[in-house]
Amino acid sequence: MDELLEQFLIESRDLIAVAAADFAALARNPQSTGSIDSAFRAIHTLKGSVAVFAMVPAEQVLHAAEDVLERARKGAIELDPETVAVLMACLDQIDRWVDDMERSGLLGSDAPAIADRVSRELSSTQSASPMDERASTLDDEWVARLIVREAEVLAQSAKPLIAFRYAPDADCFFRGDDPLAVVAAVPDLVALSIVPEAETWPRLDEIEPFSCFTVLEGLSTAPREVVSAAFRMMPDQVAYAALDGPSRRDEDRTPEPETRVSRVLRIDAARVEALGSALGELLVAINGVAPLAAQAESIAPGLASQIRSVQGNLERVTGDLQRTVSAVQAVPLEPTLRRLPRLVREIAQSLNKAVDFSMSGQDVEVDKQIADGLFEPLLHLLRNAIDHGIEPRDARALAGKPATGIVSLDIRRDCDTIVVRLTDDGAGMDPARIRRIALECGVLTPDAAETLSHGGILRLIFSAGFSTAETVSEMSGRGVGMNAVETAIEALRGTIDVESTPGRGSTFSLRLPANALMTRLLLVEAAGDRYGVSLDQVVETVGIGNDRLLPVGSGLACVLHGRTVPVLSLAALLGRSDRPQANAKLLLTRSGGEMVALRVDGFGERIDSLVRRPSGMLSSLPGVIGSTLLGDGGVLLVLDLPELAA
Amino acid sequence: MTVRIASDAIHLEGRCLVEDAETLLVAAQDHPHIPIDLGGAERLHMAVVQVLLAIGRPVRGAPADPFLAEYIAGRAIGGDIPIKSA
Repeated sequence: MDELLEQFLIESRDLIAVAAADFAALARNPQSTGSIDSAFRAIHTLKGSVAVFAMVPAEQVLHAAEDVLERARKGAIELDPETVAVLMACLDQIDRWVDDMERSGLLGSDAPAIADRVSRELSSTQSASPMDERASTLDDEWVARLIVREAEVLAQSAKPLIAFRYAPDADCFFRGDDPLAVVAAVPDLVALSIVPEAETWPRLDEIEPFSCFTVLEGLSTAPREVVSAAFRMMPDQVAYAALDGPSRRDEDRTPEPETRVSRVLRIDAARVEALGSALGELLVAINGVAPLAAQAESIAPGLASQIRSVQGNLERVTGDLQRTVSAVQAVPLEPTLRRLPRLVREIAQSLNKAVDFSMSGQDVEVDKQIADGLFEPLLHLLRNAIDHGIEPRDARALAGKPATGIVSLDIRRDCDTIVVRLTDDGAGMDPARIRRIALECGVLTPDAAETLSHGGILRLIFSAGFSTAETVSEMSGRGVGMNAVETAIEALRGTIDVESTPGRGSTFSLRLPANALMTRLLLVEAAGDRYGVSLDQVVETVGIGNDRLLPVGSGLACVLHGRTVPVLSLAALLGRSDRPQANAKLLLTRSGGEMVALRVDGFGERIDSLVRRPSGMLSSLPGVIGSTLLGDGGVLLVLDLPELAA
Repeated sequence: MTVRIASDAIHLEGRCLVEDAETLLVAAQDHPHIPIDLGGAERLHMAVVQVLLAIGRPVRGAPADPFLAEYIAGRAIGGDIPIKSA
């Protein structure tokens, strides 16, 4: 892609996000001057950016939006929730056009018509809410116009400025006044405009040459009392406004979006990945020091302790380095999620449903890989929540619910895990219906249907080929949906769970590793070999007596925390033979939403490691996440427990 | 003579006072296609300047007076006529 366009896509979406946040704040409090100012700056900068590309309709819409904000800023109009909603719709349109630019480098052929319609909507809201006091509107309008007209002078002036507006009486010439001579005597005049009193200059055949039809507006750097002294003969014909200059006015504001943008250094993701990769090698190299110390122990114990001390230092420093590199890779989820509110509005509109969507925790930072991979599955879940979850308006009314459905997305960090919860207050899922459909779709056998738990039935929606949609809508219901979601989440080494109460709504919970760069591995032994398992897949490790393993059908189970858990042998799952052990060492994991215990021969140490995705022959092995190098040069296979246990 | 009509331009010269406004207006209507020259103007009354702005015709020449040169010949008229609000 063209580098300029690429930069534009990044920056314009940053600005759209800033403006969207400001509009959201304005929707709550339309008079928030900080938000009006910030939105104005974002829209203004955005207008400048789109002008570089063939995006004239976007420029037109942004100009109209800027105009409304500018007037609101100067107090010429008061924003109301309807106007804010129209502004938000404008921004949504710009966002769609930015998407168009990314796709094809062009706006659709309908763009000019859309721009006309949107601009008209804006200008109609603009005139709909004038301030009550006509006089103050006038005052503010002339100041606003003057600020725009004299922007250059204002920008260059370090001193505070006094703006004046001198509207001479129509018959002042008869009294011997020369307004131009009066203004020429204003000390430290830095700008002057002579404008018609009416909206335009009169036609020549309408001019009354001895009647004054002109207004003089200007700026002076002199103090107010000095400027007003120049007009002492006609105080009733002059209005003043103190302007502090743009820099001064900005001082008490919250950090500017421009500042935030410029503090960000954009680095090619490949370079950061290379850094992470090199760090992984370093960790592996350091893992080699411990065996060295052990070897030295027998020859020179003093040397061994020195080696251990060096090892400790190296581990501490690389630990810091690792946290720093992880932090570099970490990005806030916000840019990934910022398009969701707009898409929710579009989906809800196309399905004629009213949805109140809220997000929290977008500032949570995750590994870039996770951030990139999360958007599609989340969007899919949202579509489903609105399409299948939220009921049509009349059905909601019948159920005694408010007409507007509530969908919320909450993200929080729980140690090394990111927990994403998507909740709707819609119809919920009916287990009986899911069971019936699962049987019809053939994803469930009648035998299995008898034994499935409530949670197990809900999880059927993730099965390949399962679809609850009686009619396939445009939005969802093609039978690949939830299966695709689960696959996408699992590819990020995450898990997905669902809870639902019929009539009350559903909640999808996603758990994802916060840090994909380094994985904390637990070493386990099975069939005489060592394997790595990712700690974020391990719920618990327990050791129990063999007598607590109970035969159930053809397999084994045990009771843990009051629940019966199936016990599988890891060695057998790997196609190896079991070795008898005095005690059962169990590794608890979650597979398909159910707890499963895997029996291993022993637990080893915990290591931080860079897990490489499987390639070549390894990639065809089921149940393998990847591999990692050990300090002694050996290769460790990292197992995917849920897949193995499934 | 403060408003002088020549073949190439309407010249404003010397001290143009309130009564010159009507003369300028008539001259501009009679000669719709020639520019207005401010080079010889020493003083311009508001009444003259507002007619000049209403005529909206290109001006040329810069008056010696710095105020007139900057704000009348230069800024207020020369290519930077205040934007007429729609």
